[in-house]
Amino acid sequence: MPELLQFRDVNTYYGDLHVLKDVNYTIGEGEIVSLLGGNACGKSTTMKTIMGVVRPTSGSVIFDGVPIEKMSTAERVKRGIAPVLEARRLFPRMTVFENLEMGAYTRKRGPEFADDLDRVYALFPRVKERLNQISGTLSGGEQQMVAIGRALMARPRLICMDEPSMGLSPLFVEQVFDIIQEINRQGTTIFMVEQNANMALSIAHRAYVLQTGKVVLSGSAKDLRRDPAIREAYLGELQVT
Amino acid sequence: MSFSDLLLQQTINGLSLGAMYALLALGFTLVYGILELINFAHFNVFMVGSFIGMWTLQLMGINGQSIVMTGLPLIVTMVLSGALGVLIERVSLRPLRDVKGPAAMITTIGVSYVLFNIILLTVGADSKNYPNPLPPVQWDIGDAVLRLREVLIWVIAVLLMLGLHFFVQRSKMGKAMRATAQDPEAARMMGVEVDRVIVIAFFLGSALAGAGGLIFGLYYNFTSFIIGFTAGLRAFTAAVLGGIGNVPGAMLGGVIIGLIEAMGGQFIATAWTDVIIFSILVLVLVFRPAGLLGRVAPNKS
Amino acid sequence: MRMITKLFARIPMARRQHLLTLLAGVAAIAFPLLHDNDADIDSAANAAAYATLALGLNIVVGFAGLLDLGYAAFFAIGAYAYGILTSFQVMPHWSGFWEPFAWLELVRRIPQPGGDLVHFTVSFWIMLPVSALIAAAFGVLFGAPTLRLRGDYLAIVTLGFGEIVPIVVRNVDSVTNGAAGLNGIQAPRLFGHSFGVAALPYYYVAIGLVALLVFVSIRLRDSRIGRAWMAIREDEIAAAAMGVDRTRTKLLAFAIGAGFAGATGTFYVAKLQTATPEMFGFPVSVMILVMVVLGGMGSVWGVVLGAVSLQLLQSWFLEDISGWIHDLGTLIGQPWMLKIDLTESIELIFGLILVFMMLYRRDGLIPATRKQSALSFEEQHAEVRRGGFPALTGLGNFTHSDHTGLEVRDITVRFGGLVALNKVNLAVPAGDVVAVIGPNGSGKSTLFNVITGLTAADGGTIRFDTQSLLGLPPHQILRRGVARTFQNIRLFTNLSVLDNVLIGQHARLKTGPIAAVFRPPSTRREEAAARVWATEILSLFGNRLLPRATQTVSHLSYANRRRVEIARALASRPKILLLDEPTAGMNPAETLELAEQIKSLHSLGLTILLIEHKLDVVTRLADKVVVLDHGEKIAEGTPDEVRRNDAVLQAYLGRGTLAEGMVDA
Repeated sequence: MPELLQFRDVNTYYGDLHVLKDVNYTIGEGEIVSLLGGNACGKSTTMKTIMGVVRPTSGSVIFDGVPIEKMSTAERVKRGIAPVLEARRLFPRMTVFENLEMGAYTRKRGPEFADDLDRVYALFPRVKERLNQISGTLSGGEQQMVAIGRALMARPRLICMDEPSMGLSPLFVEQVFDIIQEINRQGTTIFMVEQNANMALSIAHRAYVLQTGKVVLSGSAKDLRRDPAIREAYLGELQVT
Repeated sequence: MSFSDLLLQQTINGLSLGAMYALLALGFTLVYGILELINFAHFNVFMVGSFIGMWTLQLMGINGQSIVMTGLPLIVTMVLSGALGVLIERVSLRPLRDVKGPAAMITTIGVSYVLFNIILLTVGADSKNYPNPLPPVQWDIGDAVLRLREVLIWVIAVLLMLGLHFFVQRSKMGKAMRATAQDPEAARMMGVEVDRVIVIAFFLGSALAGAGGLIFGLYYNFTSFIIGFTAGLRAFTAAVLGGIGNVPGAMLGGVIIGLIEAMGGQFIATAWTDVIIFSILVLVLVFRPAGLLGRVAPNKS
Repeated sequence: MRMITKLFARIPMARRQHLLTLLAGVAAIAFPLLHDNDADIDSAANAAAYATLALGLNIVVGFAGLLDLGYAAFFAIGAYAYGILTSFQVMPHWSGFWEPFAWLELVRRIPQPGGDLVHFTVSFWIMLPVSALIAAAFGVLFGAPTLRLRGDYLAIVTLGFGEIVPIVVRNVDSVTNGAAGLNGIQAPRLFGHSFGVAALPYYYVAIGLVALLVFVSIRLRDSRIGRAWMAIREDEIAAAAMGVDRTRTKLLAFAIGAGFAGATGTFYVAKLQTATPEMFGFPVSVMILVMVVLGGMGSVWGVVLGAVSLQLLQSWFLEDISGWIHDLGTLIGQPWMLKIDLTESIELIFGLILVFMMLYRRDGLIPATRKQSALSFEEQHAEVRRGGFPALTGLGNFTHSDHTGLEVRDITVRFGGLVALNKVNLAVPAGDVVAVIGPNGSGKSTLFNVITGLTAADGGTIRFDTQSLLGLPPHQILRRGVARTFQNIRLFTNLSVLDNVLIGQHARLKTGPIAAVFRPPSTRREEAAARVWATEILSLFGNRLLPRATQTVSHLSYANRRRVEIARALASRPKILLLDEPTAGMNPAETLELAEQIKSLHSLGLTILLIEHKLDVVTRLADKVVVLDHGEKIAEGTPDEVRRNDAVLQAYLGRGTLAEGMVDA
């Protein structure tokens, strides 16, 4: 399967703090790949590096064969990467519809726009009901639906999700993960940073486990589910040599 | 004049002043909403705009003709004022975008001074007569007088405000501006080029200031280097009163301050009007910093 | 020339400052004697007056970081206070009430056909400090409702006050003679001689005032008060958490700054013998700001230089340069150049200075540096220790007899619709180490914030040593003995390591502004003891921090900055220490070292509440572990118990096979 996104020997420093240490990821087209890890391990820095908010100190990020680590965020979105941000971060005083529109910002308004809207409505009937509601007044779960819909409006090839289960009730978490699987089935590649290892591994094809900036485990989700080392990595016990 | 006629006259005056302050406040609040920057230079862009308007009118050699009705001087003034705003942003503010603290605000004070003094030194301290391009039409309502210029001012102001409203609410760039004001990082992740949004905000805000300057000249029939300061503080209070960063708030605040100035000047004394307006500024910031329509509580950053 | 440079280089650094000051002083005194031009001496006196204004604004803007755009209002207040009390403006009718004042020579009885009048004749020398006090009182009046506002809003409000004062002055003309201004203000008298209009005596008074206020500024800057101001400027929240009473400290800066301006106002108006409202508007406030920006915000000598430079520019250089341009114009046949008069463009130059300085040299001509005397050889080379602090025992340890512990009961915190903490219970008995763990977003930092007063609680109680902490401001909670560090490190970035630790002691020291200026023996002892204590604390970290004590913390490594934050919290002699992820970002070796150091602190009797996600650190240190998830406590017990607890594993890993059936590895 072709590789859609790659991190090659990425190192990132915040000042003198070494946040990502020789990190390598490969995400194949059509996969769901999950990035796991406990607190402060470098997961959100990975997300920011993909989106271009943070630039790596060394190494490269390659999307669809093209190195993108020096490109602007807008350029990357145009090339087909869309984010679902941690804690949703919808534009609080804009309506649901306007948020969806913002998702399609880099695209031209044409017949495709209407198609994309329909696709979002099909996945999220609740969203269609609340198109004119100010998004700040929605519940957490509803906001998550809109946030995912917003990302879909960019017609991305890769969606990067940052902690999709954060702050959601267990019921909503199940729903969200079902939808992620459905989107993947429809052809979108998903890279998902997630703390809830169980849920993530139940739908991912492959996963990486980060601990203090280093990849300590990786492999197929099936294998990792049976690996006791994950628990230690999360609870901060795995001694990395 | 009877009291009700007096009241009516001052309401007319107040609405004209209010229209001008509203435009000024709007321009100011557009920039603040996105950058959280108090741009002191804005009010001297207004002053420069009024001079640009004057020179445009003089160049077109009008006096009582209909050229002004086509709005050409207005457009020229707005475009040139907007360009001035963009220049200021590029040269003096963009380098300070990531610097925390009062550095950017202090810089805008400096730019304000530079504009003020360039005009003073080149044009002189005396006030200049504004060309009066309008036919002397007026209507009498009892003892109160409503002049053509006032109607024109209202029309211009309302059109510009409606235009801005539609732009901000409906257009793609307008939504990008709102999104950037609410969450700049998320907006960037949607592909919004935040730098461009800021430039456009400055252009629009300064264009509105220029329009305000032209209106000032048409209303008072004069302009001078000093108008930025006095009108500026009033427009500033209007923006704060309505809620800094809030677009409808700026319009509402402008009208209220205009009315207060007109009524105050008539029924109290012009000298004390200044104190009243400044006191409103201080009181709003101390007791209700969010203003009438705003929502941000500017206590601890 | 080379001999002089060589001689100069031989003088030690600390002495150089004194020598330069001495030379400046001699030059200032000698100046009018050598250059006998009345106009120039008068300009110099003006320059000195501006310098004192700049010094005052420097305290407000430079030290405390409060942008005041209406500073000239205090200048006006001082001017009019003296003006009204010595001119013929206010003249009430004579009555018996005024007898004692006449006897004190504060008023004079003027015989008038219609009834005798009172003419105020308060002495200039008395009014200098009195005006300062009056202006300071107004500073408190303006500041009390407004100093809690955010920086840019504060700037606007002060601008408003700065405009209101001259307008009021202009309009209450019965007292102030309105726009026409006060006239006939009495010149100062010394030993029976009036200063009249001679320039020389005013010059020396001005120089004296500058010298005095420079002295006061430097003393304040290097004292507990100055440190508190700079702490507020750097990071208000951290300052409060370290015991600085923000409101009082800001008011103090505002009032003292106002006082400087008030005294200057009296001097200025006595020299001019007149006062009009135009002298005190926004342009004057801006001019003083330009001097401060040019010289260097926070730099005492810098702002003096800024004021003098601008005065030189205005009075001499601009005229000369205009002359040169005229000559050049004549030379190259460009008649328009003859019309250029740069002296009129001083305000344009002000604007350009502000823009250029902010863009290219924000530190000013003479950047402010905190002069710290370097640590002695012994101080610097403390033994490297990974753990244990025998050095501390000599100073008195941390056990307190009246310390029972921290009790958090049913604490609930809501942010809008989100419940961050839901009826959380936590007990930290005195002398224990308790760790709080939990996944991201579980409410750990919120718990710390509500305990230390940075966040309000929506329900429940918090008791420390049986006294309630709820509703107390952060600085008072610190004084009760609760000190903390922050997850994302909140140090005072532009201050040195030593300063950061000294600020940690703010609540335990007592020096106020007056003691700071006069430096009585008690203050000197206190400062010395504070430095000794700071050194002891720093030596807890071996040779990692001590050799760097005078370095600015922004230059330190991440791990060292974490250590400084802990040192700062320890400096306040707390009973309980709240550490928020202290080992975050440290490699295993550094983590181990810090864990040992924390263990030693515990063995000295310090109670510790710790947020930590590295379980091996927790296991090593904690007596008890509390687990939070989604704002609720889901487990509590010893580290081993918690590690095996299913609910905990589910919280971290999510419900499912990963957590179930995991035999302890």
